[in-house]
Amino acid sequence: MTRPTVAPPRPWAFPTPSEHVLPNGVRILLHDVPGQYVLSLRVVVPAPLSAEPAGQEGVASMTSRLLDEGTSEHGPEELAELMERHGMVLGAGVSDGGLLVDVDVSQPHLATAADVVRAVLADPVFPDAEVRRVLRSRLAEIEQERASAAVRAMRETSRTLWRPGDRAATPAAGTAETVLGLTREDVVAHHARTVGPEGATLVLAGDLAAVDALGVLTDTLGAWTAAGRPDLGPVVAPVPADDRARTVVVHRPGAVQTEIVVACPGPDRSTPHGWAPHPVLSFVVGGSPGARLDAVLREEKGYTYGIRSSFRPRVAGGSFVTSGSVRSEVTGDAVEILLGILDGARDGFTPEELRSGVDFVAKTAPGRYATADTVADETAALALEGLPADFTTTNLAAVSALTVDDLDEAYRRTATGEWTVVLVGDADQVVPAVEGRVPGPVSTVDV
Amino acid sequence: MPLDYPIHERTLPNGLRVVVSPDHTVPTATVNIWVGVGSRHEEVGHTGFAHLFEHLMFQGSRQVGNGEHFALLHAEGARLNATTWFDRTNYFETVPTGALELALWLEADRHGHLLDAVTQESLDTQRDVVKEEKRQRYDNQPYGNALTDVYAAVFPEGHPYHHPTIGSMEDLDAASLEDVHDFFRRFYAPDNTVLTVCGDVEPDEAFALVEKHFGDLGGRAEGVREVLPQVPPLDGPVRVERREAVPNDRLHVGFRLPVDGTDELLAASMALDCLAGLASSRLVRRLVRREQTAVGAHAAAWGFVDGVSLGFVVVDVAPGADAEAVEAAICEELVRLASDGPTDAELEASIAQSERSWLGALAGQEERADLLSRYALLRGDPHVVNTHLDRLRAVTAEGVAEAAGRWLAPEHRAVVAYLVREDAREEAVA
Repeated sequence: MTRPTVAPPRPWAFPTPSEHVLPNGVRILLHDVPGQYVLSLRVVVPAPLSAEPAGQEGVASMTSRLLDEGTSEHGPEELAELMERHGMVLGAGVSDGGLLVDVDVSQPHLATAADVVRAVLADPVFPDAEVRRVLRSRLAEIEQERASAAVRAMRETSRTLWRPGDRAATPAAGTAETVLGLTREDVVAHHARTVGPEGATLVLAGDLAAVDALGVLTDTLGAWTAAGRPDLGPVVAPVPADDRARTVVVHRPGAVQTEIVVACPGPDRSTPHGWAPHPVLSFVVGGSPGARLDAVLREEKGYTYGIRSSFRPRVAGGSFVTSGSVRSEVTGDAVEILLGILDGARDGFTPEELRSGVDFVAKTAPGRYATADTVADETAALALEGLPADFTTTNLAAVSALTVDDLDEAYRRTATGEWTVVLVGDADQVVPAVEGRVPGPVSTVDV
Repeated sequence: MPLDYPIHERTLPNGLRVVVSPDHTVPTATVNIWVGVGSRHEEVGHTGFAHLFEHLMFQGSRQVGNGEHFALLHAEGARLNATTWFDRTNYFETVPTGALELALWLEADRHGHLLDAVTQESLDTQRDVVKEEKRQRYDNQPYGNALTDVYAAVFPEGHPYHHPTIGSMEDLDAASLEDVHDFFRRFYAPDNTVLTVCGDVEPDEAFALVEKHFGDLGGRAEGVREVLPQVPPLDGPVRVERREAVPNDRLHVGFRLPVDGTDELLAASMALDCLAGLASSRLVRRLVRREQTAVGAHAAAWGFVDGVSLGFVVVDVAPGADAEAVEAAICEELVRLASDGPTDAELEASIAQSERSWLGALAGQEERADLLSRYALLRGDPHVVNTHLDRLRAVTAEGVAEAAGRWLAPEHRAVVAYLVREDAREEAVA
């Protein structure tokens, strides 16, 4: 039987939310997605992570983790039980641009869930015992992160890529040193300074046919009040380190693999040059087994389970990161080949690569945004990044119109050849193997 | 109230079981194939083979070149992959509706005619790739081999679940082209396969397309056997201790459970929820919140078909706390749950969280298709996706207590303890 022909996909657009504003200033974006019976609720509260007081790095993240550890109405265990009896799952975290609270809950429990969200945002009491417990568990988490080659590699990458003292050079959830210094008062003060209804956006996605969503949200989130907060200023892009083009080996004695990260600063989704080429570049350089990196390092050489490249936008600024692991013995070869591919891509992409990348990015969109949680996540991300609600659709149109020149220019703009290289592996084996094959001086640090 | 996802079934004359579930909310369709072969079918000296074989399914077949499967589908906007597990191997792609027939053509070519294209070179390369996968996911991770130790401690020597799906380096090294041919003939046949199409397509059209591309596939799966009888709980505690460079002591407490599809497994899995599967579970309240001797506690029940399932609790011991005391507390809670049963609130929480996660799993075509294939292949009935929650809601507090007493008693536990190696701790501090 011969290969079937493919009918072109039907036109598709990212769903447009209906927009409302509650009297307390909370912006509401509603997505009615038929057939999605688990509703996804997201709240974003913009606040630059860099507004944490000096020495208190991690306080924003710890505050987010403590939001659901007790309100004036419910003790921490009582609140956990209330959420579980209503089938709620609540997460909270921070990015460089602010706080994100996410909740998934089945349709009948929306009102309870929305009121819990109001309570944890407006009225958390941060019991001292819970603050101490959460800080202690962050310290244990730091040790677990240190033991993971992939996490350890990203931490060293941030520290090397960004200027010392820049907030982006330090883990978002803080270091052992900064977390040890935090107190309940710091958490209370951070909450008061950064969390309030003005400027916040609430996104609700799912099957809303049988739900008075706006009524429920007005009755719950509408009652969210907070004292006036200071102007924390805009979120600014991290500043790259002057000496970032160098290689750091993190010594992990006896490691059977070397974790490789190669990175450089990159754009955010608001870039005036246009975001469209970047997801396409991620795909053709390192987004599939047939992409430039894995075609050689995985499918030809068998050095790795897979190497991925991706542009990672923040609210402001971003990075272009290539990462993966290879068996220790081939580290030198693998790093040389990998850097050769990344540098060689500056010579340009082919029309076939453009076609395959554009087709992949444009045609996967309907499937990528098919469920309530993926729609809610994207709309919440747009809100935090200050991008318009139709960004996803207009960006896809721009993707489809890309030329090879657009790809080449975007890649050359980011991939200047000034790479930060981090290798987590056995330094005794790795350092001699990579000498002369990597950019800049090679230094070694302990795991 | 039962769910009502539409389900249409047909079995082709060659034995291929086809399930179609139309859903026109998104202009995409998922093709999901479950082959009734997993690591449980592997014999001594051939561990890891089912998974290595899965990799070879992407290296070309009669009419498809090496790498073309990914390339052709990606270019049409597909998201695709395959995975191997104890009981099965699955292959899946979600494509814009217009590419559904291409997806079926590609799948039929490799499921029918893989051997035309398999070479020593592709076997050697994928063997290396799989060995890197093993290093990345198991050998180079803290606690990376803990579950492998759990399988070996919980299941009897020689039992199909005694070894992990990834297999051993020695067995991967020994895999030959002849093994590939033999394995394909024994297990890859329409009568050992379920194909689900879920998405933007009408049943008649989907059945016709599947018939067109898979109708001519022949062969019988000769390696299939009857499942083994239920394995009873361990007849005494088992303990495995590893001292490694891990960040904190971690206890894995494993149990044999009733096979998949039984009410007793549902009850046992709810018992595990009450113990450590939820944020308000007993071990979380006691060890993480109150005594603060643990920084995390989790639990899971994995349903298997071959005579036994697996349940386990994982507790991260807080730095400075005593792992033995934590284990003793776990045992106390196991006994207490069996004697007192769950509270109404615990039962309600377990059911509410299961409902949300079940509905969440069914929310997307991809996972819905995977569940339809799963139940068609392993339980003979894809309608389980619609009836599962009703069965779960029918579990009683007495049922949970009974299951806890029979399957989760301390004397039936296998503990795999990963403990911080003292010299590693000093090294880390130095």
